[in-house]
Amino acid sequence: MAQRVAIETWDPEYGVPSTEHPGEETDVVVDADVEIPVARWAPVVPGQGASAASLAFIDGVRRIDANAWLDDGTAPVRQGMFASFAAGAVHAADHARVDAIEVRRGLFAPGRPEPFTTKAGAYQPFGVAGPGPELLSAALQERLGALEIEVAGRLANGADLIVVDGPLYGRQHLPHTVGYIKTHRVHYLSGEAARTVAALAPGERTPLYRFRTSWTRHSWYLRLAGPMVHSWSGIVRLEAPAELSVDQCVALAELSSRALPRFASAPHKDPRAPQNLYPIAGLERELRRRLGDPRYVERALRAAAR
Amino acid sequence: MDEDHAVGRVLGTDDATPLSFWVALAPEQYLQLDDVVALERQLPDGNTVRIYGLVTQVRARHEGARFDSDVFLIEEGILPAEVSQAAEVLATRFEPEVFVPPLPGQRVHKAEGHDRDMALYFDGMAKRLPAGLTRDDEPLYANLEFLDGSRGAHVNISGISGVATKTTYATFLLFSLFRSGVLGGEAINTKALIYNVKGEDLLFLDRDNRDLDDANRERYERMGLAHGAFESVDFWASPRRDDIVAAPDVASRQTGVTSYFWTLAEFCADGLLPFVFADAEDDRQQYTIVIHNVVAKLRDVAAPLTDGGITIDGQTITEFDALARLIADRLQDETTVAEWAGRAIGQGTVNAFIRRLFGAVAHLKHLVRGDVPNPERHRIHRQAQVTVVDIHNLNDRAKRFVVGVTLRRAFDEKERAGVQRPLLFVVLDELNKYAPREGSSPIKEILVDMSERGRSLGIILIGAQQTASEVERRIVANSSLRVVGRLDAAEAGRDEYGFLPTVHRQRATILKPGTMILSQPELPIPLVTQFPFPSWATRASEAASIPSTGDPDDPFEGLG
Repeated sequence: MAQRVAIETWDPEYGVPSTEHPGEETDVVVDADVEIPVARWAPVVPGQGASAASLAFIDGVRRIDANAWLDDGTAPVRQGMFASFAAGAVHAADHARVDAIEVRRGLFAPGRPEPFTTKAGAYQPFGVAGPGPELLSAALQERLGALEIEVAGRLANGADLIVVDGPLYGRQHLPHTVGYIKTHRVHYLSGEAARTVAALAPGERTPLYRFRTSWTRHSWYLRLAGPMVHSWSGIVRLEAPAELSVDQCVALAELSSRALPRFASAPHKDPRAPQNLYPIAGLERELRRRLGDPRYVERALRAAAR
Repeated sequence: MDEDHAVGRVLGTDDATPLSFWVALAPEQYLQLDDVVALERQLPDGNTVRIYGLVTQVRARHEGARFDSDVFLIEEGILPAEVSQAAEVLATRFEPEVFVPPLPGQRVHKAEGHDRDMALYFDGMAKRLPAGLTRDDEPLYANLEFLDGSRGAHVNISGISGVATKTTYATFLLFSLFRSGVLGGEAINTKALIYNVKGEDLLFLDRDNRDLDDANRERYERMGLAHGAFESVDFWASPRRDDIVAAPDVASRQTGVTSYFWTLAEFCADGLLPFVFADAEDDRQQYTIVIHNVVAKLRDVAAPLTDGGITIDGQTITEFDALARLIADRLQDETTVAEWAGRAIGQGTVNAFIRRLFGAVAHLKHLVRGDVPNPERHRIHRQAQVTVVDIHNLNDRAKRFVVGVTLRRAFDEKERAGVQRPLLFVVLDELNKYAPREGSSPIKEILVDMSERGRSLGIILIGAQQTASEVERRIVANSSLRVVGRLDAAEAGRDEYGFLPTVHRQRATILKPGTMILSQPELPIPLVTQFPFPSWATRASEAASIPSTGDPDDPFEGLG
């Protein structure tokens, strides 16, 4: 067969939405028979059920404002990190509006750092277990996740369906909430099940499957609208908590399959189209704006450190 | 400053300067064009500067949208975005005069009452002349000191015919002058001379307007004006052609109009001949020297008869064409030509003069004559407060003659009187015809003289034209008050309208009848002004009743 080339719709700076990393999460246990036996897998066309009257999308952004060196005279100099992060929600009913924005600034460092006040705001101290940028970054991500949960908790009863950007981990307890994953580092399905993903038409989903890595959840794939340049283009993966019954998860899958495709973005408007949904893109822009001008924040940090 | 009335805050994404700045509007608030706003800025030295301004532009946009088509996503509830509104303010005044920009974030509120008077300099106007209303029917004023000669004088009005309502606004200004009490005790002696150049619109100034509705009555009241008609008006119209009794040539009005003409005796004694020639003073024209010689000769040799006729060398002349023939005979006779035309005048030059003189005869025959008994009854006098001279039926050359002669007389009288008060207002439309930018003529000289010396003589020109670019610069430049109605786009872009900011130039192309842009010396920004429907009739169908004025020829009328 002659070589066939498809140009990915995502901007190269964002990587590739479907990347396989062989060897990662090797101990994945997949059960594809939860909704229908895997032998009978075929694309599921969403039914004509009730549609979600109101949706909420939740996302967070993080930015490293400056790397720093902390010196208290006793221990060796430690590497720390000043970061701003924010989480918020978009309510999409008749109109989409940004809601419940929370902005935080933090100083992440090993040990017990002290609060740090600047013209651009006060940085809360967050102690990290050990040295190294990876740990600092992980601590920041953890804080951001907690902030997203805080925002989501406030909206819990305000929407028929809550879509959280990223995996559901740590948020399984939220009602009618699904995780929304744009990139596919691992292909959890193989054989007939994987062929079903490739066969999805826009708006169609796969049957549910359950899988376990470090934690367990229900998941399914959905194809958004957009040009079909290759068999995985426009594919997103959704997650629902393992604690829910299969019927409850199917209801969420149905609801989200009906609701989400209309929010898919167009390639000329978003470098990560169609997976980066319009409300989430709008929310991210707003959140980044609320973080403040990076050069101003950096200047404030330098002035305060003097 | 009342913080509850803040409409928004100065925004910081555009430069704020002492001349102009943008205001972001708070939710549920709005500003519209021409709104007056005020704000305060504290200076580091503890002083407070109050900044006043006028809204000249208002914009609304989506924040959060990056593409034009995002509006559809936003309206469908897919993309989150906010509508933001902002208004551009041009500063009118700083109190005290510390020219600092307002700071982003400062509250801006709508200026009302005293603040509004401050913003528009009404507080410093000792004599305020109501000049119209804003869109929300708040009165706007002009400073009388810039109209009555104390600090400036003259009004110039530009705008497209039919839409710009130039004459109506000029008459409204007169009405306001006479009715507002701004002239005090002088109002009774202040006079106006109006030329009716188009239709018979101005022949009903003395009658109430039947079509005036309550809303417009209220608008007059808001300006402190008692609505109604002009109280004391004389109407003068040209006589019908070939009419032996010289009945006035008007169609819509039967009574109260007197016809005017000049006697041959006046024509010779007062030297009116130059006004027959529109381009008499054009230096390139050789024959102008002939005109001046003939004028001198006529003054010399013409002896008056009782009914305005003359005798020259024993020959009785009662008609203008007979006079023209006599002049032509003398100029063509080799024995008299040197005496009448001057020495060393070529035959070609003499012929050019004669050709032009005969060209005018047909148009002026009924205006210069000696064949009607009691000609003094037809001599325009300005006894009434308002004198309307109708010239709309006349040919261009005859129009120039009438305007030129009457203006000259008014000017001479004022000059002779030697006192500035009482004032005489002269309303003249189609200035481009009488004082064109190019060339020179006797009328233009008078008008330029009037615009330059009228301020001290007490003769105030309210001139109007379609296009200021075609009118003598000095006349426009000497006008303190400049008014613009609807302009066409090409005209609005010319230098003559440099006093209009860009936005006002654009707006001038879409102004509706009844709306004018008024520029006065004290205000750095022109005001968009509306004036109410005339409370005097502007056509026969609007005239409420027969005027109560008696015989228009009664010189004691109105003196009670």
